[in-house]
Amino acid sequence: MLPKRSFLALIVLVALAVLLSLVGCRPSTPTPAAGETPAPPKENVAVYAHPTSFPDIDPSVSYSNDSAVVSNLYETLVWYNPPMHPQLLRPGLAERWESNADATEWTFYLRKGVKFHDGTALNAQAVKYSIERTITMGMGASYIWDPVEEITVVDDYTVRFKLKYSAPLDLIAASGYGSWIFSPACVEAQGEKASEWFNEGHDCGSGPYTIESYERGRRLVITRFDDYWGGWKPGQFTKVVFEVVEDPTVRQQMIEAGTADVTYDIPRANLAALDARPDVVVYTNPAFQNLVGLLNVRKPPLDNKLVRQAISYAFPYEQFIQTVVSGYAVQSRGPVPLGMWGHGDQLFQYTYNLDKARDLLAQAGYPNGGFKLVMTHVAGDLDERQVGEVWKAELAKLGIDLEVRGMSWEAQWDLGKSDPMQAQDIFVMYWWPDYVSPYSFLYSMFHCEEETLFNLGYYCNPQYDELIDRANELSGSNRAEAERLFVEAQQILVDDAAAVFFYDLVNTHAVRADIKGYVDNPSYPHVVFFYELSR
Amino acid sequence: MKVWEYILRRLLLAVLVIFGVSVVTFFIARVVPSDPAALWVGPRPSPDQIAAARVKLGLDRPLHVQYFYYLGNLLHGDLGVSIKTHQPIIQDLRAYLPATLELVLVGMAMAVFIGIPLGVLSAARRNRFLDHFSRLVAVASVSIPTFWLGLLLQLIFFGHLHWLPIGGRVSIETTLYRPIQTVTGFYLVDTLITRNWPAFRDALTHIILPAFTLATYAIGLTIRMTRSTMVEVLQEKYIVAARAAGLSERTILFRLALKNAIVPTLMVLALSFVYSLTGAILVEVIFSWPGLGSYVTAAIINVDFPVIIAVTLVVTVFYVLINLVLDLVQVALDPRVVLK
Repeated sequence: MLPKRSFLALIVLVALAVLLSLVGCRPSTPTPAAGETPAPPKENVAVYAHPTSFPDIDPSVSYSNDSAVVSNLYETLVWYNPPMHPQLLRPGLAERWESNADATEWTFYLRKGVKFHDGTALNAQAVKYSIERTITMGMGASYIWDPVEEITVVDDYTVRFKLKYSAPLDLIAASGYGSWIFSPACVEAQGEKASEWFNEGHDCGSGPYTIESYERGRRLVITRFDDYWGGWKPGQFTKVVFEVVEDPTVRQQMIEAGTADVTYDIPRANLAALDARPDVVVYTNPAFQNLVGLLNVRKPPLDNKLVRQAISYAFPYEQFIQTVVSGYAVQSRGPVPLGMWGHGDQLFQYTYNLDKARDLLAQAGYPNGGFKLVMTHVAGDLDERQVGEVWKAELAKLGIDLEVRGMSWEAQWDLGKSDPMQAQDIFVMYWWPDYVSPYSFLYSMFHCEEETLFNLGYYCNPQYDELIDRANELSGSNRAEAERLFVEAQQILVDDAAAVFFYDLVNTHAVRADIKGYVDNPSYPHVVFFYELSR
Repeated sequence: MKVWEYILRRLLLAVLVIFGVSVVTFFIARVVPSDPAALWVGPRPSPDQIAAARVKLGLDRPLHVQYFYYLGNLLHGDLGVSIKTHQPIIQDLRAYLPATLELVLVGMAMAVFIGIPLGVLSAARRNRFLDHFSRLVAVASVSIPTFWLGLLLQLIFFGHLHWLPIGGRVSIETTLYRPIQTVTGFYLVDTLITRNWPAFRDALTHIILPAFTLATYAIGLTIRMTRSTMVEVLQEKYIVAARAAGLSERTILFRLALKNAIVPTLMVLALSFVYSLTGAILVEVIFSWPGLGSYVTAAIINVDFPVIIAVTLVVTVFYVLINLVLDLVQVALDPRVVLK
């Protein structure tokens, strides 16, 4: 029998050994050797305090907040300009592009002298490889390439896309999801494990920065790529640190203390005080995102247009925006948000008017209301819940009982996809575009669907479908005409009151005042293009 | 019974427990309404993508067949792939588990070194100032909400005094200029092994506030528990005899009395240790600590069922092991307890 003291020590040792072996002794990220070498001279480092982690940084899969990182590592053939810019698009890896008359064949002419981070050169083969990998993997936003039938390498710097049907391939190629171009040699070197390798903290891009280190869920450091084709100027950031900081108060403290340079998602109530500081600037811009309540047009009583119009008049838009969201939103005009091409600034807007609502209800045969509606939203989204609560109080004045039901997104969506006669009456959700086109809003939420996917109000109007399909075909070749048709289609939706368009969201980003060159581009939500900034 | 036989028997029983837990969590996680195939694809899955993902993930097979595949992989040490991040869960755990363990271990050490002495002294000086004070500390520390205390500590030590960092495991300077070579994943240990002293200091300053915030509840519990058992033990005849024999107060309190009083405290501490592995979510969020709590909470919100099952299994393993260790410690400390 062991003496008790040694026995205790043994237990502790065994427990520790088990603990360490459970945790594993392999490095979770490759880190350079440590040493006590003195720190090199201070570099120009920017810190982005980011509210979420980055689920997947494989460029073919990334379809989430990870685009904040990915957009600094990779480039697309074409870029969207920020709103208010006279041109919608600007050249990226393609210097110029053209399509045939019916937008079924697109040719992109590539920039010369572009190098990937592994040293290989950009060529047409790399473009073909990248997009084909994204399509083959079938993950994330890969479906945006659905129109593509064949990609042909014409010569080293020319690539041609043959489409199955007319589509604005320039807009698709500019998407912040699924359109990144990467080095084939770099990806091939990793074989089947490429996706895993990316997510351990590696990249194969041609962008201004490359990943230096990655602690999953906590911190990702990117460092400047010396051979970047755009070159480097003094004052630009040599390194950027993405800090995952989930707590909004902590992010605010960091930006105030200067330990972070950029952040977003600060509590609205604190934004004015933050903006009043001399060392922080709060940028407020349109976000290409809106909050809509899709109305179940198949199920009584909302199958009656007059009832739908009546409840559209029963929401206090302005008051809600000023008080609940502290003015950080704008009442929507139709489904395409403010600042985006295809937004109809002359479209009719329903305003808060209970008398009108009462009249419409009377015309519809419900002079005293007397029915119940179920509104579903994502539980935990405070804004959506408050929309429901405010609306419930207003509808009660009309004798309508609104049940506000918070659910997990999965459950809300499942109910929405079930039989429309058993489903919710009002489906509240946000919408944002995958690639920046009104078609993303108008098709996904309102085009006839055989099997319900996102048209969760079950609206179906062949005249409307024809308009938007035609507009989509034209958006590659005749954007002005496409825009006109898109606005015309939206007028139909507004007249039919197919949905309640609550408000368009506004992006707010807090940036340290000594950072120069910051411009928000909502086509790439919450992406900060650090190459364009300096200090 | 020999110690090794006992351990072996307990470990065999543990396998059964883990198997049972895996069955229950697997089936519960799968009857919750959700579509893993849709989550796998991304935020806007098309019907084609969902159908392809369902086949790829084997979700088209009957549930019991899926479970046997899962069990087969588990036996090979494969915990599966996260539906949300598409990454092997074992890699996520390698990143998140050490961070949480380090935090919780330091927190528990604080509870032991603050809570036990205060509890002992409180019992020894019953109804005197120190007793009242430590009881106040105990009540306060079990009642203060964690998130409030965390934010308050940040405001004081980061915002006003600038003594300690606001969050994270190490500063950006350490990541950039003195990167930590990962050996165990415990930064305090790794920096010691590699003699990266500035990084060690940095890691230490980063862990103080979150570990203390996490420890407050355990400190309160330890004080209360130690005090009450000590009060009982101090009235035993052998303590009177020891006093009569002229032994020093220190020897009586810490060598004779505490030894018999400490077992219930250790039990409580061990259970709160395992609870903290996933229950430290608030502390982890406030102090931007990339741990298991935030990881599993995100998984629960997304119904990322392979992650939920994997974390449940890991925590089960800890429960089983800690309980085993506790039983053995009890045998070592208390001669009245024998292995059966």
